[in-house]
Amino acid sequence: MDRHDGRDRHDGRDAHDRRDAHDRRDGPAQSAWRIHGMSVEGYRHRRDGIPCQDAWHSAVVGPPDAAVVVLAVADGAGSRPHSGQGARFAVQLATSHFGQRAEVRPQSADAVHALLLDAFKDVREEFVSRTDGDPDDFAATLTVVVLAPTWLGHLSVGDGFVVLRSGAEGGERLFHLLPQPDAVSEYSNETVFLTSPDAEHWVHTECVCDEGIDGVLLSTDGLTQAALSRSAGRPRGANASFASAVLRSLDAPGPDPHADDLALAELLRSDRLTAFNADDKTLLRAVRP
Amino acid sequence: MRHDRARSRTVRTEYEDIEFENNAQRLPLVLCLDTSSSMSGPPIQTLNEALREWARELHDDVSLSHSVDVAVVTFGQQGVSTWKGSRQLPPQSPDSPFVPAHAFRPPQLFAEGVTLMTEALELAMWIVSARKTELRRSGLQYYRPQICLVTDGLPTDGTGHLTDNWKRVVPVLAAEQQARHFRLYAIGVGGITPRGEEVLQAFAPKFNARLNGFPFRQLLQMMSASATAEQKGAGDEVFEKIFSQFKTQRPAWES
Repeated sequence: MDRHDGRDRHDGRDAHDRRDAHDRRDGPAQSAWRIHGMSVEGYRHRRDGIPCQDAWHSAVVGPPDAAVVVLAVADGAGSRPHSGQGARFAVQLATSHFGQRAEVRPQSADAVHALLLDAFKDVREEFVSRTDGDPDDFAATLTVVVLAPTWLGHLSVGDGFVVLRSGAEGGERLFHLLPQPDAVSEYSNETVFLTSPDAEHWVHTECVCDEGIDGVLLSTDGLTQAALSRSAGRPRGANASFASAVLRSLDAPGPDPHADDLALAELLRSDRLTAFNADDKTLLRAVRP
Repeated sequence: MRHDRARSRTVRTEYEDIEFENNAQRLPLVLCLDTSSSMSGPPIQTLNEALREWARELHDDVSLSHSVDVAVVTFGQQGVSTWKGSRQLPPQSPDSPFVPAHAFRPPQLFAEGVTLMTEALELAMWIVSARKTELRRSGLQYYRPQICLVTDGLPTDGTGHLTDNWKRVVPVLAAEQQARHFRLYAIGVGGITPRGEEVLQAFAPKFNARLNGFPFRQLLQMMSASATAEQKGAGDEVFEKIFSQFKTQRPAWES
Protein backbone atom coordinates (compact mmCIF):
# COMPACT_ATOMS: atom_id res chain seq x y z
CA MET A 1 0.00 0.00 0.00
CA ASP A 2 3.01 2.32 -0.40
CA ARG A 3 1.97 5.46 -2.11
CA HIS A 4 3.11 8.99 -2.96
CA ASP A 5 6.78 8.97 -3.84
CA GLY A 6 7.87 6.13 -1.65
CA ARG A 7 8.24 8.29 1.40
CA ASP A 8 5.23 6.67 2.95
CA ARG A 9 5.95 4.13 5.67
CA HIS A 10 3.87 1.40 7.17
CA ASP A 11 4.39 -1.61 9.30
CA GLY A 12 3.22 -4.27 6.84
CA ARG A 13 2.24 -6.57 9.66
CA ASP A 14 -0.02 -8.80 7.61
CA ALA A 15 2.48 -11.63 7.64
CA HIS A 16 2.46 -13.38 10.96
CA ASP A 17 6.20 -13.93 10.99
CA ARG A 18 6.98 -10.24 10.59
CA ARG A 19 6.42 -9.43 14.17
CA ASP A 20 8.95 -6.74 14.67
CA ALA A 21 8.75 -3.31 13.22
CA HIS A 22 10.73 -2.15 10.28
CA ASP A 23 13.39 0.33 11.00
CA ARG A 24 12.61 3.93 10.16
CA ARG A 25 15.59 5.75 11.39
CA ASP A 26 17.14 6.48 8.02
CA GLY A 27 14.08 8.57 7.33
CA PRO A 28 13.44 10.59 4.24
CA ALA A 29 15.74 13.51 3.68
CA GLN A 30 12.81 15.87 3.45
CA SER A 31 11.97 15.48 7.11
CA ALA A 32 14.12 16.48 10.05
CA TRP A 33 12.37 13.82 12.11
CA ARG A 34 13.70 10.34 12.73
CA ILE A 35 10.74 8.00 12.97
CA HIS A 36 10.39 4.48 14.31
CA GLY A 37 7.30 2.39 14.95
CA MET A 38 6.66 -1.02 16.44
CA SER A 39 3.61 -3.08 17.32
CA VAL A 40 3.86 -6.32 19.26
CA GLU A 41 1.14 -8.76 20.16
CA GLY A 42 0.13 -8.85 23.82
CA TYR A 43 0.41 -11.76 26.21
CA ARG A 44 -3.10 -13.06 25.53
CA HIS A 45 -2.78 -12.93 21.79
CA ARG A 46 0.68 -14.48 21.97
CA ARG A 47 -0.62 -17.32 24.13
CA ASP A 48 -3.65 -17.92 21.92
CA GLY A 49 -1.72 -17.58 18.64
CA ILE A 50 -3.78 -14.54 17.59
CA PRO A 51 -2.00 -11.88 15.50
CA CYS A 52 -1.48 -8.37 16.79
CA GLN A 53 -4.53 -6.13 16.40
CA ASP A 54 -2.60 -2.88 16.82
CA ALA A 55 -1.14 -0.98 13.87
CA TRP A 56 0.96 2.09 13.17
CA HIS A 57 1.81 4.06 10.07
CA SER A 58 3.75 7.17 9.17
CA ALA A 59 4.08 9.38 6.11
CA VAL A 60 5.96 12.49 5.04
CA VAL A 61 4.17 14.84 2.66
CA GLY A 62 4.70 18.29 1.15
CA PRO A 63 7.68 20.04 -0.38
CA PRO A 64 11.17 19.40 1.03
CA ASP A 65 11.40 22.83 2.66
CA ALA A 66 8.04 22.47 4.43
CA ALA A 67 7.64 18.76 4.97
CA VAL A 68 4.81 17.53 7.15
CA VAL A 69 5.04 14.26 9.06
CA VAL A 70 1.88 12.32 9.83
CA LEU A 71 1.99 9.65 12.54
CA ALA A 72 -0.89 7.31 13.36
CA VAL A 73 -1.55 4.41 15.73
CA ALA A 74 -4.69 2.29 16.05
CA ASP A 75 -5.93 -0.44 18.34
CA GLY A 76 -8.41 -2.95 16.92
CA ALA A 77 -11.31 -3.81 19.24
CA GLY A 78 -10.60 -7.16 20.86
CA SER A 79 -14.21 -8.25 20.54
CA ARG A 80 -14.47 -7.66 16.78
CA PRO A 81 -13.59 -10.27 14.16
CA HIS A 82 -11.65 -8.07 11.71
CA SER A 83 -10.33 -5.41 14.04
CA GLY A 84 -6.67 -6.07 13.22
CA GLN A 85 -7.42 -5.39 9.57
CA GLY A 86 -9.48 -2.37 10.64
CA ALA A 87 -6.56 -0.96 12.64
CA ARG A 88 -4.19 -1.32 9.67
CA PHE A 89 -6.71 0.28 7.32
CA ALA A 90 -7.38 3.12 9.78
CA VAL A 91 -3.73 4.16 10.10
CA GLN A 92 -3.18 4.03 6.34
CA LEU A 93 -6.24 6.17 5.69
CA ALA A 94 -5.19 8.54 8.45
CA THR A 95 -1.72 9.24 7.08
CA SER A 96 -3.20 9.71 3.62
CA HIS A 97 -6.09 12.04 4.52
CA PHE A 98 -4.36 14.00 7.29
CA GLY A 99 -1.39 14.42 4.96
CA GLN A 100 -3.56 15.78 2.17
CA ARG A 101 -5.44 18.15 4.46
CA ALA A 102 -2.22 19.41 6.08
CA GLU A 103 -0.89 20.65 2.75
CA VAL A 104 -3.21 23.68 2.90
CA ARG A 105 -0.94 25.27 5.56
CA PRO A 106 -3.46 26.55 8.13
CA GLN A 107 -2.83 30.05 9.49
CA SER A 108 -4.43 29.75 12.93
CA ALA A 109 -5.07 27.27 15.71
CA ASP A 110 -8.76 27.27 14.79
CA ALA A 111 -7.85 26.35 11.25
CA VAL A 112 -5.71 23.47 12.55
CA HIS A 113 -8.61 22.13 14.64
CA ALA A 114 -10.91 22.40 11.62
CA LEU A 115 -8.35 20.68 9.41
CA LEU A 116 -8.00 17.80 11.86
CA LEU A 117 -11.75 17.31 12.12
CA ASP A 118 -12.18 17.46 8.35
CA ALA A 119 -9.44 14.88 7.90
CA PHE A 120 -11.10 12.68 10.52
CA LYS A 121 -14.40 12.87 8.65
CA ASP A 122 -12.59 11.91 5.43
CA VAL A 123 -11.01 8.91 7.16
CA ARG A 124 -14.27 7.80 8.73
CA GLU A 125 -16.20 8.16 5.51
CA GLU A 126 -13.75 6.16 3.46
CA PHE A 127 -13.33 3.57 6.22
CA VAL A 128 -17.06 2.95 6.44
CA SER A 129 -17.56 2.89 2.68
CA ARG A 130 -14.68 0.55 1.96
CA THR A 131 -15.12 -2.05 4.70
CA ASP A 132 -17.12 -5.03 3.51
CA GLY A 133 -20.18 -5.82 5.58
CA ASP A 134 -20.56 -4.28 9.02
CA PRO A 135 -17.92 -1.58 9.67
CA ASP A 136 -18.19 -2.34 13.40
CA ASP A 137 -16.54 -5.67 12.69
CA PHE A 138 -13.42 -3.61 11.86
CA ALA A 139 -13.68 -1.31 14.91
CA ALA A 140 -10.45 0.38 15.98
CA THR A 141 -9.33 3.40 17.96
CA LEU A 142 -7.26 6.02 16.13
CA THR A 143 -4.65 8.50 17.37
CA VAL A 144 -2.97 10.85 14.90
CA VAL A 145 -0.22 13.45 15.19
CA VAL A 146 0.59 15.90 12.39
CA LEU A 147 4.06 17.48 12.66
CA ALA A 148 4.11 20.62 10.54
CA PRO A 149 6.96 23.15 10.56
CA THR A 150 5.14 25.62 12.82
CA TRP A 151 2.46 23.57 14.55
CA LEU A 152 1.64 20.14 15.90
CA GLY A 153 -1.88 18.79 15.45
CA HIS A 154 -3.30 15.90 17.47
CA LEU A 155 -6.55 14.05 17.00
CA SER A 156 -7.68 11.04 18.96
CA VAL A 157 -10.75 8.87 19.16
CA GLY A 158 -10.53 6.18 21.81
CA ASP A 159 -7.86 5.61 24.41
CA GLY A 160 -4.57 6.05 22.54
CA PHE A 161 -2.26 8.76 23.85
CA VAL A 162 0.56 11.10 22.91
CA VAL A 163 3.54 12.30 24.94
CA LEU A 164 5.72 15.23 23.82
CA ARG A 165 9.27 16.04 24.86
CA SER A 166 9.93 19.75 25.09
CA GLY A 167 11.96 21.99 27.35
CA ALA A 168 13.95 21.18 30.45
CA GLU A 169 13.95 22.00 34.12
CA GLY A 170 16.99 21.66 36.35
CA GLY A 171 18.80 19.86 33.57
CA GLU A 172 16.02 17.26 33.24
CA ARG A 173 14.01 17.00 30.04
CA LEU A 174 10.27 17.63 30.41
CA PHE A 175 7.55 15.34 29.07
CA HIS A 176 3.97 16.36 28.45
CA LEU A 177 0.95 14.11 28.04
CA LEU A 178 -1.49 15.66 25.56
CA PRO A 179 -5.07 15.80 26.86
CA GLN A 180 -7.05 12.67 26.04
CA PRO A 181 -10.71 12.35 25.13
CA ASP A 182 -13.04 11.96 28.10
CA ALA A 183 -13.48 8.39 29.33
CA VAL A 184 -16.76 6.88 28.13
CA SER A 185 -17.08 4.42 30.96
CA GLU A 186 -15.70 3.73 34.41
CA TYR A 187 -14.01 0.64 32.98
CA SER A 188 -10.62 0.86 31.36
CA ASN A 189 -11.38 -1.67 28.63
CA GLU A 190 -14.36 0.24 27.20
CA THR A 191 -13.76 2.98 24.71
CA VAL A 192 -14.93 4.70 21.52
CA PHE A 193 -13.92 3.52 18.06
CA LEU A 194 -13.56 5.15 14.70
CA THR A 195 -16.74 3.35 13.67
CA SER A 196 -18.81 4.21 16.78
CA PRO A 197 -22.01 5.99 15.71
CA ASP A 198 -21.20 9.07 17.78
CA ALA A 199 -17.42 8.99 17.23
CA GLU A 200 -17.32 12.62 16.08
CA HIS A 201 -18.65 13.74 19.45
CA TRP A 202 -15.90 11.91 21.28
CA VAL A 203 -13.04 13.10 19.09
CA HIS A 204 -10.45 15.22 20.83
CA THR A 205 -8.21 17.65 18.97
CA GLU A 206 -5.23 19.72 20.04
CA CYS A 207 -3.05 22.30 18.35
CA VAL A 208 0.38 22.88 19.90
CA CYS A 209 2.76 25.61 18.75
CA ASP A 210 6.12 24.94 20.38
CA GLU A 211 9.30 24.90 18.37
CA GLY A 212 11.06 23.21 21.28
CA ILE A 213 9.31 19.90 20.70
CA ASP A 214 12.01 17.41 19.75
CA GLY A 215 10.40 14.13 20.72
CA VAL A 216 6.95 12.64 20.14
CA LEU A 217 5.60 9.32 21.30
CA LEU A 218 2.26 7.82 20.23
CA SER A 219 0.83 4.70 21.76
CA THR A 220 -2.29 2.59 22.05
CA ASP A 221 -3.74 1.84 25.47
CA GLY A 222 -1.55 -1.23 25.94
CA LEU A 223 1.20 1.01 27.28
CA THR A 224 -0.99 3.32 29.37
CA GLN A 225 0.17 1.91 32.69
CA ALA A 226 3.84 1.85 31.70
CA ALA A 227 4.09 5.19 29.93
CA LEU A 228 1.78 7.29 32.07
CA SER A 229 1.90 8.28 35.65
CA ARG A 230 -1.22 7.89 37.72
CA SER A 231 -2.57 10.47 40.05
CA ALA A 232 -5.68 10.72 42.12
CA GLY A 233 -7.93 12.22 39.52
CA ARG A 234 -7.08 13.74 36.20
CA PRO A 235 -5.08 14.86 34.45
CA ARG A 236 -2.57 12.11 34.46
CA GLY A 237 0.97 12.84 33.36
CA ALA A 238 3.75 11.17 31.44
CA ASN A 239 6.02 8.66 33.16
CA ALA A 240 9.23 10.60 32.45
CA SER A 241 11.41 7.57 33.10
CA PHE A 242 9.70 5.56 30.34
CA ALA A 243 9.39 8.38 27.80
CA SER A 244 12.95 9.47 28.40
CA ALA A 245 14.38 5.97 27.87
CA VAL A 246 12.45 5.11 24.72
CA LEU A 247 13.07 8.50 23.06
CA ARG A 248 16.74 8.50 24.04
CA SER A 249 17.26 5.15 22.33
CA LEU A 250 16.02 6.71 19.10
CA ASP A 251 18.09 9.88 19.64
CA ALA A 252 21.22 7.75 19.84
CA PRO A 253 20.60 4.44 18.09
CA GLY A 254 23.06 1.61 18.45
CA PRO A 255 25.25 0.38 15.59
CA ASP A 256 22.89 -2.47 14.73
CA PRO A 257 19.27 -1.45 14.00
CA HIS A 258 18.13 -5.06 14.28
CA ALA A 259 19.55 -5.33 17.78
CA ASP A 260 17.79 -2.09 18.74
CA ASP A 261 14.50 -3.50 17.44
CA LEU A 262 14.98 -6.70 19.39
CA ALA A 263 15.72 -4.78 22.56
CA LEU A 264 12.60 -2.64 22.18
CA ALA A 265 10.45 -5.66 21.33
CA GLU A 266 11.84 -7.42 24.37
CA LEU A 267 10.86 -4.48 26.54
CA LEU A 268 7.34 -4.37 25.08
CA ARG A 269 6.88 -8.11 25.53
CA SER A 270 8.49 -8.23 28.97
CA ASP A 271 6.69 -9.73 31.93
CA ARG A 272 6.83 -6.48 33.83
CA LEU A 273 4.90 -4.66 31.09
CA THR A 274 2.54 -7.62 30.62
CA ALA A 275 1.77 -7.53 34.32
CA PHE A 276 0.44 -3.99 33.87
CA ASN A 277 -1.52 -4.71 30.74
CA ALA A 278 -1.86 -7.87 28.62
CA ASP A 279 -3.02 -6.00 25.48
CA ASP A 280 -1.10 -5.57 22.25
CA LYS A 281 1.42 -2.76 22.47
CA THR A 282 2.40 -0.07 19.99
CA LEU A 283 5.07 2.56 20.22
CA LEU A 284 5.52 5.10 17.43
CA ARG A 285 8.34 7.55 18.11
CA ALA A 286 9.69 10.59 16.33
CA VAL A 287 12.73 12.61 17.39
CA ARG A 288 14.75 15.40 15.82
CA PRO A 289 18.20 16.69 16.71
CA MET B 1 18.62 -15.71 17.48
CA ARG B 2 19.73 -16.63 20.94
CA HIS B 3 22.92 -14.73 20.39
CA ASP B 4 21.04 -11.60 19.23
CA ARG B 5 18.72 -11.64 22.18
CA ALA B 6 21.57 -11.94 24.63
CA ARG B 7 23.37 -9.11 22.91
CA SER B 8 20.35 -6.87 22.88
CA ARG B 9 20.08 -7.11 26.61
CA THR B 10 23.60 -5.83 27.05
CA VAL B 11 23.28 -3.15 24.36
CA ARG B 12 20.05 -1.66 25.63
CA THR B 13 20.44 -1.69 29.36
CA GLU B 14 18.75 1.70 29.59
CA TYR B 15 15.38 -0.03 29.37
CA GLU B 16 16.18 -2.02 32.48
CA ASP B 17 16.43 1.19 34.48
CA ILE B 18 12.96 2.44 33.60
CA GLU B 19 10.98 3.13 36.73
CA PHE B 20 7.38 1.98 36.69
CA GLU B 21 4.64 2.72 39.12
CA ASN B 22 2.65 -0.19 40.47
CA ASN B 23 -0.41 0.71 38.47
CA ALA B 24 -1.68 -2.39 36.68
CA GLN B 25 -5.33 -2.33 35.71
CA ARG B 26 -7.30 -4.07 38.44
CA LEU B 27 -10.05 -6.66 38.18
CA PRO B 28 -11.87 -7.13 41.52
CA LEU B 29 -13.20 -10.66 41.93
CA VAL B 30 -15.31 -11.70 44.91
CA LEU B 31 -16.00 -15.32 45.78
CA CYS B 32 -19.15 -15.42 47.89
CA LEU B 33 -19.17 -18.94 49.28
CA ASP B 34 -21.70 -20.96 51.23
CA THR B 35 -19.94 -22.56 54.20
CA SER B 36 -23.08 -23.49 56.13
CA SER B 37 -23.43 -26.87 57.82
CA SER B 38 -24.93 -28.51 54.74
CA MET B 39 -21.53 -28.11 53.05
CA SER B 40 -19.73 -30.18 55.67
CA GLY B 41 -17.77 -33.28 54.75
CA PRO B 42 -16.61 -33.92 51.18
CA PRO B 43 -18.15 -30.70 49.72
CA ILE B 44 -16.09 -28.32 51.87
CA GLN B 45 -12.99 -30.48 51.37
CA THR B 46 -13.50 -30.32 47.62
CA LEU B 47 -13.93 -26.56 47.83
CA ASN B 48 -10.72 -26.13 49.83
CA GLU B 49 -8.78 -28.27 47.38
CA ALA B 50 -10.23 -26.38 44.41
CA LEU B 51 -9.27 -23.04 45.98
CA ARG B 52 -5.70 -24.21 46.47
CA GLU B 53 -5.47 -25.43 42.89
CA TRP B 54 -7.01 -22.22 41.55
CA ALA B 55 -4.57 -20.08 43.55
CA ARG B 56 -1.69 -21.96 41.93
CA GLU B 57 -3.16 -21.44 38.46
CA LEU B 58 -3.65 -17.74 39.12
CA HIS B 59 -0.04 -17.39 40.24
CA ASP B 60 1.11 -19.00 36.98
CA ASP B 61 -0.88 -16.64 34.75
CA VAL B 62 1.37 -13.65 34.07
CA SER B 63 -1.55 -11.37 33.33
CA LEU B 64 -4.24 -12.49 35.80
CA SER B 65 -1.73 -12.76 38.63
CA HIS B 66 -1.04 -9.03 38.50
CA SER B 67 -4.47 -7.69 37.63
CA VAL B 68 -7.03 -9.81 39.47
CA ASP B 69 -7.70 -8.85 43.09
CA VAL B 70 -9.40 -11.64 45.02
CA ALA B 71 -11.67 -11.25 48.04
CA VAL B 72 -13.56 -14.05 49.75
CA VAL B 73 -16.88 -13.71 51.56
CA THR B 74 -18.29 -16.72 53.38
CA PHE B 75 -21.67 -17.33 54.94
CA GLY B 76 -21.99 -20.07 57.50
CA GLN B 77 -19.76 -20.35 60.51
CA GLN B 78 -19.88 -17.10 62.51
CA GLY B 79 -22.50 -15.61 60.18
CA VAL B 80 -20.99 -13.61 57.33
CA SER B 81 -17.21 -13.19 57.13
CA THR B 82 -14.66 -11.64 54.85
CA TRP B 83 -11.28 -13.16 54.23
CA LYS B 84 -8.12 -11.41 53.14
CA GLY B 85 -6.49 -14.41 51.52
CA SER B 86 -6.12 -17.02 54.24
CA ARG B 87 -6.85 -14.55 57.06
CA GLN B 88 -10.38 -14.07 58.36
CA LEU B 89 -11.00 -10.39 58.98
CA PRO B 90 -12.76 -9.32 62.19
CA PRO B 91 -16.28 -7.90 61.74
CA GLN B 92 -16.27 -4.19 60.75
CA SER B 93 -12.58 -4.39 59.91
CA PRO B 94 -11.41 -1.33 57.96
CA ASP B 95 -8.91 -3.57 56.19
CA SER B 96 -9.74 -4.28 52.51
CA PRO B 97 -10.23 -8.01 51.90
CA PHE B 98 -8.80 -7.77 48.37
CA VAL B 99 -5.47 -9.46 47.71
CA PRO B 100 -3.58 -9.36 44.38
CA ALA B 101 -3.90 -12.78 42.78
CA HIS B 102 -0.14 -13.32 42.80
CA ALA B 103 -0.21 -13.04 46.58
CA PHE B 104 -3.51 -14.87 47.15
CA ARG B 105 -3.34 -17.70 49.66
CA PRO B 106 -6.68 -19.49 49.94
CA PRO B 107 -8.44 -19.74 53.28
CA GLN B 108 -9.03 -23.10 54.99
CA LEU B 109 -12.81 -23.13 55.22
CA PHE B 110 -14.97 -25.07 57.65
CA ALA B 111 -18.65 -25.83 57.16
CA GLU B 112 -20.90 -24.91 60.02
CA GLY B 113 -23.80 -22.64 60.83
CA VAL B 114 -26.66 -21.00 58.94
CA THR B 115 -27.15 -19.64 55.41
CA LEU B 116 -27.08 -15.85 55.55
CA MET B 117 -26.99 -15.61 51.78
CA THR B 118 -28.71 -12.23 51.52
CA GLU B 119 -26.36 -10.58 54.00
CA ALA B 120 -23.37 -12.14 52.24
CA LEU B 121 -24.44 -10.76 48.87
CA GLU B 122 -25.00 -7.33 50.39
CA LEU B 123 -21.53 -7.47 51.90
CA ALA B 124 -20.05 -8.56 48.56
CA MET B 125 -21.68 -5.59 46.81
CA TRP B 126 -20.42 -3.26 49.52
CA ILE B 127 -16.81 -4.40 49.31
CA VAL B 128 -16.88 -4.12 45.50
CA SER B 129 -18.16 -0.57 45.74
CA ALA B 130 -15.58 0.31 48.40
CA ARG B 131 -12.84 -1.23 46.28
CA LYS B 132 -13.82 0.87 43.27
CA THR B 133 -13.71 4.02 45.39
CA GLU B 134 -10.29 3.03 46.65
CA LEU B 135 -9.01 2.35 43.11
CA ARG B 136 -10.35 5.66 41.81
CA ARG B 137 -8.71 7.51 44.70
CA SER B 138 -5.43 5.83 43.83
CA GLY B 139 -5.81 6.79 40.17
CA LEU B 140 -5.90 3.12 39.15
CA GLN B 141 -7.94 1.88 36.21
CA TYR B 142 -10.14 -1.16 36.55
CA TYR B 143 -12.29 -3.68 34.74
CA ARG B 144 -15.86 -4.59 35.58
CA PRO B 145 -15.76 -6.56 38.86
CA GLN B 146 -17.05 -10.10 39.14
CA ILE B 147 -18.97 -11.63 42.02
CA CYS B 148 -19.49 -15.37 42.16
CA LEU B 149 -22.12 -16.67 44.57
CA VAL B 150 -21.97 -20.40 45.30
CA THR B 151 -24.51 -22.18 47.48
CA ASP B 152 -26.16 -25.54 48.01
CA GLY B 153 -29.13 -24.26 49.96
CA LEU B 154 -31.78 -21.65 50.65
CA PRO B 155 -31.34 -18.34 52.44
CA THR B 156 -32.02 -18.48 56.17
CA ASP B 157 -32.08 -16.00 59.02
CA GLY B 158 -29.61 -16.00 61.88
CA THR B 159 -31.50 -18.78 63.65
CA GLY B 160 -31.39 -21.08 60.65
CA HIS B 161 -35.03 -20.65 59.63
CA LEU B 162 -35.92 -20.17 56.00
CA THR B 163 -36.70 -16.57 55.19
CA ASP B 164 -37.92 -14.47 52.31
CA ASN B 165 -35.59 -11.61 53.18
CA TRP B 166 -33.60 -12.40 50.01
CA LYS B 167 -36.38 -10.69 48.06
CA ARG B 168 -35.18 -7.34 49.34
CA VAL B 169 -31.91 -7.67 47.47
CA VAL B 170 -33.41 -8.69 44.12
CA PRO B 171 -34.28 -5.16 42.89
CA VAL B 172 -30.93 -3.87 44.17
CA LEU B 173 -29.07 -6.58 42.29
CA ALA B 174 -31.15 -5.95 39.17
CA ALA B 175 -30.34 -2.22 39.22
CA GLU B 176 -26.66 -2.83 39.93
CA GLN B 177 -26.33 -5.34 37.10
CA GLN B 178 -28.30 -3.10 34.76
CA ALA B 179 -25.86 -0.29 35.58
CA ARG B 180 -23.01 -2.73 34.84
CA HIS B 181 -21.51 -2.18 38.27
CA PHE B 182 -20.40 -5.83 38.35
CA ARG B 183 -21.07 -9.21 36.80
CA LEU B 184 -22.85 -11.64 39.13
CA TYR B 185 -22.67 -15.38 38.72
CA ALA B 186 -25.03 -17.40 40.95
CA ILE B 187 -24.25 -21.11 41.10
CA GLY B 188 -26.19 -23.84 42.85
CA VAL B 189 -24.31 -27.03 43.69
CA GLY B 190 -24.92 -30.37 45.39
CA GLY B 191 -28.48 -31.00 46.37
CA ILE B 192 -29.84 -27.52 45.82
CA THR B 193 -33.62 -27.64 45.48
CA PRO B 194 -35.73 -26.17 42.67
CA ARG B 195 -36.71 -23.42 45.12
CA GLY B 196 -33.07 -22.69 45.75
CA GLU B 197 -32.58 -22.51 42.02
CA GLU B 198 -35.41 -19.98 41.76
CA VAL B 199 -33.61 -17.74 44.23
CA LEU B 200 -30.44 -17.87 42.12
CA GLN B 201 -32.45 -17.10 38.97
CA ALA B 202 -33.89 -14.04 40.69
CA PHE B 203 -30.41 -12.88 41.75
CA ALA B 204 -28.69 -13.42 38.41
CA PRO B 205 -31.22 -13.86 35.61
CA LYS B 206 -28.55 -14.41 32.94
CA PHE B 207 -25.73 -16.10 34.77
CA ASN B 208 -27.25 -18.71 37.06
CA ALA B 209 -26.74 -22.45 37.02
CA ARG B 210 -27.59 -25.58 38.96
CA LEU B 211 -24.77 -28.08 38.80
CA ASN B 212 -24.54 -31.69 39.73
CA GLY B 213 -22.12 -32.47 42.51
CA PHE B 214 -19.51 -29.96 43.62
CA PRO B 215 -17.47 -29.06 40.51
CA PHE B 216 -15.65 -26.20 42.27
CA ARG B 217 -12.54 -26.59 40.18
CA GLN B 218 -14.44 -26.06 36.93
CA LEU B 219 -16.32 -23.22 38.54
CA LEU B 220 -13.15 -21.38 39.51
CA GLN B 221 -11.67 -22.02 36.08
CA MET B 222 -14.79 -20.45 34.61
CA MET B 223 -14.16 -17.37 36.77
CA SER B 224 -10.61 -17.16 35.37
CA ALA B 225 -11.96 -17.54 31.83
CA SER B 226 -14.42 -14.75 32.52
CA ALA B 227 -11.64 -12.55 33.93
CA THR B 228 -9.56 -13.20 30.82
CA ALA B 229 -12.51 -12.31 28.57
CA GLU B 230 -12.96 -9.11 30.56
CA GLN B 231 -9.33 -8.21 29.95
CA LYS B 232 -9.76 -8.82 26.25
CA GLY B 233 -12.70 -6.42 26.16
CA ALA B 234 -15.01 -9.22 25.05
CA GLY B 235 -18.67 -8.54 24.31
CA ASP B 236 -21.53 -9.89 26.44
CA GLU B 237 -22.04 -12.71 23.99
CA VAL B 238 -18.60 -14.09 24.87
CA PHE B 239 -19.47 -14.20 28.59
CA GLU B 240 -22.75 -15.91 27.77
CA LYS B 241 -20.90 -18.48 25.70
CA ILE B 242 -18.35 -19.14 28.43
CA PHE B 243 -21.12 -19.54 30.97
CA SER B 244 -23.28 -21.71 28.79
CA GLN B 245 -20.36 -24.04 28.15
CA PHE B 246 -19.61 -24.10 31.85
CA LYS B 247 -23.21 -25.01 32.68
CA THR B 248 -22.96 -28.09 30.56
CA GLN B 249 -19.80 -28.90 32.54
CA ARG B 250 -17.61 -29.11 29.50
CA PRO B 251 -14.29 -27.27 29.73
CA ALA B 252 -15.00 -25.84 26.27
CA TRP B 253 -13.82 -22.35 27.15
CA GLU B 254 -10.37 -23.71 26.63
CA SER B 255 -11.15 -24.16 22.95
